[in-house]
Amino acid sequence: MKVLKKLVNVLDRVQKPSRYIGGEYNSVQKKKSKVDLCLVFPDLYDIGMSHFGMAILYDIVNSSSFARCERAYLPWVDMQELMRKEDIPLYSLESYRPLKEFDVVGFTLQYEMSYPNVLRALRLSNIPIHTEERNDSHPLIIAGGPCTVNFAPLEKFIDAFLVGDGEEAILEMLKAVMNGKNRVQKLENLSKINGVYVPHYNKKVSKRVLPTMLKAPTAQIVPYTNVVHDRGVVEILRGCTHGCRFCQAGMIYRPVRERSVEEIEKTSKEIIRRTGYEEISLLSLSSADHSQIRELMSSLKKLRDISISIPSTRVDALSVDLANAVSGVRKSGITLAPEAGSQRLRDVINKGITEEQIFDALAHAKDSGWTRVKLYFMLGLPTERDEDVIAIGEMLQKVKLMGFKNVSATLGVFVPKAHTPFQFAPQIAPSQAYRRYKLIGWAHKYAKINFTDPRKALIEGVLSRGDEKIGEVVEEAEKRDLIFADWNEMFNPDEWMKIFEEKEVDLEHLMAEKNFDEQFAWDKIDVGISKKYLWLEYRRAMNGILTQDCRDGCTGCGVCQRFNVKNVLMGKESPRIRSLDSLVKDVEGDDN
Amino acid sequence: MLRYLSHLETMKMIDRLLRRTGIELKQTEGFHQRIKISFAQAVPTGIIDLAGLFVVTTFEAINHEYIKTANELSPNGFEIVKIEKKCEKFKLSKFVEGYEFKLLFLEKPLDLPFDVEKKNGIWIARIFRSFNSSVPKNGEYGQFLTIRSKVVTREVQVDKSTCGR
Repeated sequence: MKVLKKLVNVLDRVQKPSRYIGGEYNSVQKKKSKVDLCLVFPDLYDIGMSHFGMAILYDIVNSSSFARCERAYLPWVDMQELMRKEDIPLYSLESYRPLKEFDVVGFTLQYEMSYPNVLRALRLSNIPIHTEERNDSHPLIIAGGPCTVNFAPLEKFIDAFLVGDGEEAILEMLKAVMNGKNRVQKLENLSKINGVYVPHYNKKVSKRVLPTMLKAPTAQIVPYTNVVHDRGVVEILRGCTHGCRFCQAGMIYRPVRERSVEEIEKTSKEIIRRTGYEEISLLSLSSADHSQIRELMSSLKKLRDISISIPSTRVDALSVDLANAVSGVRKSGITLAPEAGSQRLRDVINKGITEEQIFDALAHAKDSGWTRVKLYFMLGLPTERDEDVIAIGEMLQKVKLMGFKNVSATLGVFVPKAHTPFQFAPQIAPSQAYRRYKLIGWAHKYAKINFTDPRKALIEGVLSRGDEKIGEVVEEAEKRDLIFADWNEMFNPDEWMKIFEEKEVDLEHLMAEKNFDEQFAWDKIDVGISKKYLWLEYRRAMNGILTQDCRDGCTGCGVCQRFNVKNVLMGKESPRIRSLDSLVKDVEGDDN
Repeated sequence: MLRYLSHLETMKMIDRLLRRTGIELKQTEGFHQRIKISFAQAVPTGIIDLAGLFVVTTFEAINHEYIKTANELSPNGFEIVKIEKKCEKFKLSKFVEGYEFKLLFLEKPLDLPFDVEKKNGIWIARIFRSFNSSVPKNGEYGQFLTIRSKVVTREVQVDKSTCGR
């Protein structure tokens, strides 16, 4: 317990020491294990504890007969400084063991700005950051999470990537490490697992898909610290069928797999019993889409003393009904995401809602007593013209004139993402973003408008579409303390720009429009959606043609055939799967 | 390690523990109902608290079985040691006179405004602070550990709010 002794000297001198002590109710200290995993969320405990993926894997690994899972998070800068001074390595919260002593250290890659944090965590653990510098005395470093759909920038640092659903693969990976006598054998074993990519051992990888959801974790860890989302979580469905063309999550998490109302209710009750939480969140990409959502809400309302929260940004009356159901008498704000100001642009991005539907929903909200509205938009969507931006302002004006007390809007700069139809689209430069933002300066009198820093979007664009060479940028960023880049107080865009220049990053090419024959860094990663489909969708976007929600009819993206899966909808039959070629034949005259 | 929880964090931890025990407890009024818990004076983060007190209202009588249940559902490092029934007019401020603190020193402290005794190689000072007065801060006198060790209750009843104890 060397670490523990040293910790006591240090915890009096840092902010929020409770996030460094572990020992939370429901944290697991397993006595015996043949292989030890430490899962690391590369950001503060306050953020990482709200990440549900770790809770799922934690439960699965600790319930297994042979493996043990502990957790670590990146300490804040004041703690990092003291840890360096007092020679305290990064340690796990369950047993205060240095990460270096684990068999496997696993990172979850949730957003690109966390990449320098990953390297900082390795450094704080005294683990060499480059794969070729590691030997049998070091743990295997693995990574999972949505950013693995383009893991190229991190190939120099991570021993094995897991793409897709981790529930089954994680145990297979741990077994592979357990059965390997040395580092080379372990890497070889890992490379044979479906969904795993080991640099230099594999040439390509296909994502791992669970055909149906498995049992949900109920003994969720109850943090002492005030974390961002401090409530029980039930994942009610995974995946999304809308097909919004900008959305990476909607593409890579296909197909949809719902949990039944009975299971959700049972799980919720169990979570309440085992945690003492006063609120449960129904998690998914778009919870209002659950085919039995109304039944679900009325069944959960019967639970005593518990409030339900439902993150949902679907812009229609159903969303408002749901918001009503969850908030009871107390109504704070209602959030909707039109994404684009004009109908033309909404059609381009395939956000299948009309102006009429938006204002119907808002009228319904106002009648129900909501006085505060928050709206999300993006700037820089493909084919955007000045009149589309001005339309955002006009919408805000209309909303305010409906009589809402507070109207606020958040404008983010669009970042084209890998494996989406818009991976071919250009990204606008910060200067262009500022120019367009100024077009609605007049709308400030109707709504409080938050404009997220376009330079953040630029960096995100480089990291999310970059190739292996971008690893040099990440390495340099960590050296220059560009950690916690997602935190405004730590964000230093000028330094990032300097690094782009020094490393000769071809910003022009990265931000430009691409053709179908462009070789992407992520072409070797197969998430089941054919590149042909994505290109077809891109062309349809250019012509403002809508593509239907695939729960209403298959659109031929390919994921279900590729992995022999289908949408699992509790409330209805899943439509027949069709091949892209047969669909294309049906729709003669589609521009290609 | 629970001494590194702030007072707010400690209160939240107890709130959730009580919810886990499953018994019905009186709630606060208003829109956002929570369990009605009254806490006695807080200690600053970093001080070991062996004398924490809080008051709740139940709808049924509870006994020592409840202590056992609650402690089984508690996180490591937290324990309920005693439950006492009080009448409705009970007021913590009239019940508690103050607290005893123990300050632990690794080396013999000089020029302290109070006595120290040596025990097992460590010097210990015992001081009393009255209810709601200032609490010795960690390191304030050069001590390496501060413990709030005991509740000191009023000997003489001032009025009915001590419930005839």
